[in-house]
Amino acid sequence: MKQNIAVQVDDLTVAYNYKPVLWDIDLEIPEGVLMAIVGPNGAGKSTLIKSILGILKPIAGSVRIYGKSYEKQRSLVAYVPQKGSVDWDFPTTALDVVTMGTYGSLGWIKRPRQKQKKAALEALEKVGMLAFKSRQISQLSGGQQQRIFLARALVQDAAIYFMDEPFQGVDATTEIAIINILKELRKAGKTVIVVHHDLQTVPEYFDWVTFLNVKKIATGPVRDIFNDDNLTKTYGINYKVSIQE
Amino acid sequence: MSSAQIEIQLIASLVAVACAIPGTFLVLRKMAMISDAISHSILPGIVVGFFITQDLNSPLLILLAALTGVVTVVLVEYIQKTGLVKEDTAIGLVFPVLFSIGVLMIAKKANDVHLDIDAVLVGELALAPFDRLLISGVDVGPKALWVIGVILIITIVLLLAFFKELKLSTFDKGLAASLGFSPVIIHYGLMTVSSITTVGAFDAVGAILVVALMIAPAATAYLLTTDLKKMLSLSILFGVFSAIAGYWVAHQLDASISGSITTVLGFLFLLVYLFAPSKGVFAVMYREKQQRTEVSLLTFLLHLKNHDEERERHVNHLNEHINWQKVRSKTVLDLALKNNMIEINKNIVSLTVKGNAFTTQAIDYIITNEDAQIEDMKDDFFLFRG
Repeated sequence: MKQNIAVQVDDLTVAYNYKPVLWDIDLEIPEGVLMAIVGPNGAGKSTLIKSILGILKPIAGSVRIYGKSYEKQRSLVAYVPQKGSVDWDFPTTALDVVTMGTYGSLGWIKRPRQKQKKAALEALEKVGMLAFKSRQISQLSGGQQQRIFLARALVQDAAIYFMDEPFQGVDATTEIAIINILKELRKAGKTVIVVHHDLQTVPEYFDWVTFLNVKKIATGPVRDIFNDDNLTKTYGINYKVSIQE
Repeated sequence: MSSAQIEIQLIASLVAVACAIPGTFLVLRKMAMISDAISHSILPGIVVGFFITQDLNSPLLILLAALTGVVTVVLVEYIQKTGLVKEDTAIGLVFPVLFSIGVLMIAKKANDVHLDIDAVLVGELALAPFDRLLISGVDVGPKALWVIGVILIITIVLLLAFFKELKLSTFDKGLAASLGFSPVIIHYGLMTVSSITTVGAFDAVGAILVVALMIAPAATAYLLTTDLKKMLSLSILFGVFSAIAGYWVAHQLDASISGSITTVLGFLFLLVYLFAPSKGVFAVMYREKQQRTEVSLLTFLLHLKNHDEERERHVNHLNEHINWQKVRSKTVLDLALKNNMIEINKNIVSLTVKGNAFTTQAIDYIITNEDAQIEDMKDDFFLFRG
């Protein structure tokens, strides 16, 4: 059976101040996988996601979402940025942040109405944060903030989810809650792409993995390619992880 | 009140509102210094515009000057992007140079016109009522009032239309970009509005004080609310209050109006900074003291729960054992008693049913790493806070 390709990246090169951070990346992400992007600090993991989403302009290469350019397929894609990328002292509530996920479908000028509020409340419930809807966002714990971000992506009801380190700085309970939601998304046929740091949990959480260090090292099913050889190629030193069978 | 007095207060109030709106977003975007840069570097734009139009209130002059403001932002960002200097240094490089060019142009060319350095720095609000707008010979009010009125209407229309986009791109640029709301367009839109407002307010309050009207009301409001719409309303309220109060202070002292407005703004901020209900200095100090006592109380309750031996639960023993000063243990003991968490029988302390329930639940939260929940639990259990 030939799988649909959700995301196709061709010859992508991105540079900051003329220094390449991503070098000639070719990547095909099949529909319906739960994929981890792993690699050392500065490997360009976040940069890869941001370039796919058009937040950064690459100096070469192209990105296709289901065969078309990202600009045409925005409504199919949801994005969870790193928690640290925003100011949590911003004067707003949990519900309001989640409602921001509906702005894309609204377009310019139109304001969110009952329908959008309702969708946001449902998403809050899914991540177990309904009780905190009126809470100012700085009053939430790190894990709760991450759940708010996840709810904001869920409310977009996309086909492809990009997440930049959703497990960073969250407690164990939240980590389990988040991974369960991600697995549900995959079950529903969605494609989920996660920048991930904790190599130990890769085999348990994900079924697909991409090794990245400025260049693409390998991509494929976790059971086939998550091995010491690729880890060493990616991290440069003799990297050993015990892989659960 | 004479009609000139009313007109001055009206102009000052409209300027305050027009400044407070973009100011709120500048403060939230941590771009307060950019407004300082814009307010100074529009000077050459005003001078060139003045040479061309010979009228400080001409729309062409306002557009030209606003353009200089946007150019300032572009220059600052360009210098910053080279990575050779940081943003604050880039700002410090660009605006004094542009401002000085303006000063030189005034000195060389504009000696014989109504544009002098004092007016540029602090404005001449008191003279605003003398420059009237005549439409086919009919006096329809001071020109400055019309200029700032039109700018304010444009600002409000833009705010209402793009509130959602402004909020999103201010809070989360990355999401805004990925949803197709170009943060660059919104950024330059805000910069253009800020520049136009600055030019409109410049004539009335001058280059130095327009910054105060943009930043101080928003910074004050920020300490009082956790809701963006309320922050906007409060900024506007503080701006207008300072404009009117400042006018009367100036009237009493026979001093500069814009100087008085800014002084009122400064005092207002100081008051709120000290006394704001949750973020103010005193509120924070009080809360920290309360938390210290309540953490001690929790420690004390956990100790009681852990020990059944009477020896460990004797009132006198607590001083040496938990190692607190007498005063502190008395505070904690009193708080526990007042909240019906403990009972004391022949100097032996024990947990009440309520105290036991509270402690058990607290332990659960501590074990599962959800310490934050304890704070919510206090609302259910505490009759008195620490």
